[in-house]
Amino acid sequence: MSDQAYFSVSDLHAYYGESYIVQGISFEIKEGEILALLGRNGAGKTTALSAIARMQDPQVHKGTITLDGQDLTGMKPFEAARAGVQLVPEDRRIIPGITVEENLIISQISEPIGWDLDRIYDHFPKLRERRSQEGVTLSGGEQQMLAVARALARGIKLLLLDEPYEGLAPTIVKEIEGIVREIKEMGITTIIVEQNAVAALKLSDKAIIMESGEIVYAGTAQEVLDNKELREQYLAI
Amino acid sequence: MNSANSAFYKKDILPVGAFAAVLLTMPFWFEYVGGYSGLDTKIVIWIIFAIGFDILLGYMGFLSFGHAAFFGTSAYFTGLMLLHYSDNILPAIAVGVISAIIMAFIIGFLTLKRTGIYFSILTLAFGEMLHSMVLSTLQDWTGGDNGLTGLPTPMLFGLKMQGDNVFYLTVIVAIVMYYIARRIISSPFGLMLKAIKSNQVRLEYTGVHVARYKLMGFVISAVYAGVAGALMIVYEPYVASEFMGWHLSGQVVIMSVLGGVGTLFGPMLGAAFMLYFENVVSVTIGEQWLLVLGAIFMLTVIFLPGGFVEAGSKIKKKLMGGSK
Ligand SMILES: Nc1ncnc2c1ncn2[C@@H]1O[C@H](COP(=O)(O)OP(=O)(O)OP(=O)(O)O)[C@@H](O)[C@H]1O
Ligand SMILES: [Mg+2]
Repeated sequence: MSDQAYFSVSDLHAYYGESYIVQGISFEIKEGEILALLGRNGAGKTTALSAIARMQDPQVHKGTITLDGQDLTGMKPFEAARAGVQLVPEDRRIIPGITVEENLIISQISEPIGWDLDRIYDHFPKLRERRSQEGVTLSGGEQQMLAVARALARGIKLLLLDEPYEGLAPTIVKEIEGIVREIKEMGITTIIVEQNAVAALKLSDKAIIMESGEIVYAGTAQEVLDNKELREQYLAI
Repeated sequence: MNSANSAFYKKDILPVGAFAAVLLTMPFWFEYVGGYSGLDTKIVIWIIFAIGFDILLGYMGFLSFGHAAFFGTSAYFTGLMLLHYSDNILPAIAVGVISAIIMAFIIGFLTLKRTGIYFSILTLAFGEMLHSMVLSTLQDWTGGDNGLTGLPTPMLFGLKMQGDNVFYLTVIVAIVMYYIARRIISSPFGLMLKAIKSNQVRLEYTGVHVARYKLMGFVISAVYAGVAGALMIVYEPYVASEFMGWHLSGQVVIMSVLGGVGTLFGPMLGAAFMLYFENVVSVTIGEQWLLVLGAIFMLTVIFLPGGFVEAGSKIKKKLMGGSK
């Protein structure tokens, strides 16, 4: 069972209109594993995550995406979410005009439902404090917590985190890191994209490095941490 | 859960009670402000129309310029039922409203993929398409330009549906539908409508089948339009072709904006104001009344984009601030 790929992407090609961005990537993740997806700015990481979550953009022209035996490739965004994929995007995408709590409730109207409100608030006490404030008026760090909490409010099989630490103060980063560690302990399969490669690698089992839309390295997270040359060549750290 | 629910109900008692009290006592005070019997019934019918329109415009954020399609479809089917089937209003209203629902599924399915101005224009186009069908292709059924005439006096359990009977019937329907609208707005579905209004795309990414909710919101608002259209025929057993026209679609938009969208109360107020103005005030100011109404509309939109309701809350704030 555990040898089988829980999530797999094979020969994925994604475009924004005419621009060809993700140029045939393939990888697999086992259930409960965390994969660090690394690479320089513009390498195509966000594009890859968006394609996996079946966002309207980019368009997938070729390839297959499979999660727990289900083929996601032809799905609409809401169908992919119902199939268990949740993307926590770089820009958080909190829904304006409604409160923090309403942002969470909305994720629980249709199946599959994940954490209930109490459990969410126990993990994110800040959100409990600010439950009746409009979601988009939260600080950047609080919005990030809300975006993660909203993903957990649904029953998820695959969590996609796009630069969860971006622009956050070290103390907030610690808090989010704690949450990600818990997510790992709960055995939720996760892909994490992060400029702070070391932080991401420490949490991860596997790592892949992208450059110009292609995978240039795939291995264990430990290998990347140990291989200084590799990091210098592709990650400039 | 139970206690939360009953708290919700309590929240509704006061506004729905006040609404009921104002409408039910209308026959006793309406003539003192220049109103007359019959106009009150018409106002109540338009209030029902406006409530449903606000669910779509104020809460879901979709501006339809073709809502006459549902008012009119229901009016025609109600009229046809009275004419050809039975003078009993119950089957007539039922068929009228169901026809509006079916029409809403079709038009909603075809138009809701677009937003903003494109949605508005598409609904206008569909509305006018039906309007012209009523005037031409379907003439033999609809009476064309003359409308559907020769309807019998509508009956309900042996009661002639005229005068007070129609008035109290429409008031009861309005109270129930106002209450239902309030429940819809405060339900998870109402929250969904609000989220659709602010950002459909983001909502879809959280796993919500947005298209389905939009269609539901659209159909619900068409139910209100359909009920209003059917009651209009019960009130006055004659189907005018204008019931299907863009003018009627525009009127419900104007009254909603005047009153203040997204409040339920505002569009109801706007509906009452428009009909009162058109039928009572116009007599005093004479032929220039449309001009005056236009000016009021413009001034409201420019200075009080929240409509009468915004004016009310501003005055309230002033008074409260002054008393400090
Ligand atoms: N909506 C879009 N339309 C057209 N091109 C786009 C769009 N979004 C991204 N791109 C292009 O796709 C390429 C990959 O961008 P992507 O955001 O996937 O990179 P990334 O690896 O996430 O970078 P970063 O680390 O800076 O977030 C870039 O060249 C970018 O300009
Ligand atoms: Mg990115």
